[in-house]
Amino acid sequence: MGSLRRVFHIARNDLRIMVGDKAFFFWSLVFPMLFIVLFGLLYRASDNAPAVAELTVVNLDEGRWGGYFLDKVKSPTIALKVVDSEPAEYSRLLVLPADFSARIEARRDQALAFKKRQDASTQAAARVETRLYQAIARVIGELVVYGDGDLAKFLDGHAEFRDLVQVKSRFPEDTVTVVPSGFDHSIPGTTIQFIMMMVIIYGGITVMEDRKKGVLGRMLVSPLTKTEVFLGKLAGRWLMGLVQALILFVVGQIPPLNLNLGSVPLALLVIAVFAMAMAALSVFIGSLCRKEDLIIGLAVLLANIFAGLGGCWWPIEIVPPGVRTAAMVSPAYWAMDALHKLRFFQGDFGDILPNLGVLLALAAALTVVAGRTFKIRE
Amino acid sequence: MRRLLLVLGNDVRRHLRSPLAILIYMAIPMVMTGLIGIIFAPRAEEAQLPPIQVLLVDHDKALASKLVLGTFDVDQMKKMFRVTVTDEADGRDKMKRGRASAMVVIPEGFTLDLLDAKTTTLTVVKNPAEQFLPDVVEEFVTTLAVMLSGAVQAFAAEVRGVRAMLEGPLDTFPWETLGPELGKAQKKMVAARAYLDPMLIRLKADETRAAGARTRFTRTDLFSIMLPGMAVMFLLFIVQTLMRDIISEREDGKLRRMMTTPLRPLELVGARLLGGWVMGLAVLLVMVAFGTLIFRAHWGPFGYFLLLGAAASFWTAAFFGCFHAFVRNRNQAGALGAPIILAFSLFGGSMMNPEAMPKAFLAVGVATPNRWFIDGAALVRDGRFPAASLAVLVLSGLVLTALAVPALRRRTSV
Repeated sequence: MGSLRRVFHIARNDLRIMVGDKAFFFWSLVFPMLFIVLFGLLYRASDNAPAVAELTVVNLDEGRWGGYFLDKVKSPTIALKVVDSEPAEYSRLLVLPADFSARIEARRDQALAFKKRQDASTQAAARVETRLYQAIARVIGELVVYGDGDLAKFLDGHAEFRDLVQVKSRFPEDTVTVVPSGFDHSIPGTTIQFIMMMVIIYGGITVMEDRKKGVLGRMLVSPLTKTEVFLGKLAGRWLMGLVQALILFVVGQIPPLNLNLGSVPLALLVIAVFAMAMAALSVFIGSLCRKEDLIIGLAVLLANIFAGLGGCWWPIEIVPPGVRTAAMVSPAYWAMDALHKLRFFQGDFGDILPNLGVLLALAAALTVVAGRTFKIRE
Repeated sequence: MRRLLLVLGNDVRRHLRSPLAILIYMAIPMVMTGLIGIIFAPRAEEAQLPPIQVLLVDHDKALASKLVLGTFDVDQMKKMFRVTVTDEADGRDKMKRGRASAMVVIPEGFTLDLLDAKTTTLTVVKNPAEQFLPDVVEEFVTTLAVMLSGAVQAFAAEVRGVRAMLEGPLDTFPWETLGPELGKAQKKMVAARAYLDPMLIRLKADETRAAGARTRFTRTDLFSIMLPGMAVMFLLFIVQTLMRDIISEREDGKLRRMMTTPLRPLELVGARLLGGWVMGLAVLLVMVAFGTLIFRAHWGPFGYFLLLGAAASFWTAAFFGCFHAFVRNRNQAGALGAPIILAFSLFGGSMMNPEAMPKAFLAVGVATPNRWFIDGAALVRDGRFPAASLAVLVLSGLVLTALAVPALRRRTSV
């Protein structure tokens, strides 16, 4: 019991020193918030905006089919802008050639030029392109049904195309009821990334400096064993990660962020186990390296690789299957996956148990390695 | 001047003896570029996204539902979708485990409703943890629904015949009427070929840049765009590390000992600034060489790029000269240095394509070296001279040098 108290005394003292550092609030609040806002806005833009996708049409058609085709393209989510010549500025451009009607009436196939600006929203472009394919399907469908005679007279009267098959979309029952916001994606991702960066950099450098300056050696003069010093340092870095997560989760409750974690206690449990693994990694790196720059470099390298692979920066679903399999070596992957289960599927303890198991095993393995390399003196 | 060069040469040798930290900083942009490149680079295949995992729940188990399943089995669609037939409970479980992006539910009586020309609904259950792929599935199913609606209307008479066959007992079915009906269907199918083979109207999609100029975006282009941003970010880290000697030598007492030699403070300050500049440029060129070898990145005319790199390294050396003149100690330098570099990189476009960034971030980015270097590198890549970037980096670098030299000289005098 006394041993445990001494371990937590060391951890609490390390945490107090860290919170007293001026740069702490930059690393734990200011910089992560910039990331959260930036990625949150990007995710949100991809999810919802633009609500109406713009399509500029150069209608050079000399007949009536051009107008008829554009009527089929019209939709509440598409803003059609018909012009006479190609403008300098556009997001998406469709060109209906002068012989558009003539070719249809002669039953000769044609390819319409559809230009998408590289820097415009890819989602809006996909929405417009799909709508164009749907319009083509409607026109060809009508031609197949009613187009057995003179197509020049086709537009003078025929029955309307009916959408017999309709499509309804929803989320699975007992999950979310509204589309998750960009911040619901960016806050967990940023939190995981900054726990890695902060714990490895701060934790690693302070272990190294304490050793180099003889602080660790002096601690052994007090009634502390080497194991207690090691566990105290480990617990201190674990608390760093927890404090970092708590700060971001609390700030995440402020509008317009309105973070929803699903189950808060389970989300904190995931973070706690993840932070434990990172704490062990930081003590290991701090014991191994003798230079601050080396620790910073390693921390930036590892945190960025783990974050990129683990789905902290971009949705893991867009990653090629091979990279997705490789991502399983990243602790961030298991933490992000567990947080997704909690947030998006209202998951319970049983759902995240495999993730917790992997993270705990990693934390245990890293703790053993860190314990073996932990040195009191150079 | 000779003494200045002696100090500079000694600094270079010293840093070359323990290059691990510098090598790691140089490796980071390469690793990051490689990782992002693997994920986002355009692929040779038609499908730009990985195959989308789709679950199909068939409550109908009849002709039309088989048709829906069959459309996912067409060669072109197979590249895009991987379909698994399952039930709803298993589907939900698979989505939770990240094994599927969406689940398409075909309702009971789907085929009969279509045969009766009644409106019917396909349901797309989207994975809430995913952001892009479920929408792709929804759009595909919507297009499929339009085509199915068209097909049912095109063959309405034949569909009614099939309906009658399905309903009545086999012995009461008027087989003699089937011949003419099949004949009509055949005619319709032959007529439909005029519109469907080849498709009467197709789209020829192209990606364009400003003013509608056509371009083809390759993996090499992506690397060439990303690498300058990454390189300037880690140039800042590396020059900061190299120039930290200014502070550490004072704290370690080395400076006091150096000043007992016939070395003047101005010579030492000049050696440190020149060292930061020269070593920064050397490191940048090594990163460029690796980028060219590993990623086949193209940088444009080398002379222009060398000028831009020299200007960026000069700015960086001047900035960190100034920075180390004003911070109090090594701890403060360490605590402030990395946040400043990361802020420069975030706002300046090293971490993200500036075109995708919010306008407020872009406005702040104008005050960062990253932005000017990235913009300049883009111009050089297009074969143009980066006049504005050079002017901004050199002039602001001179201002920083003018601030740094007297301050550093004061702090070097013992």
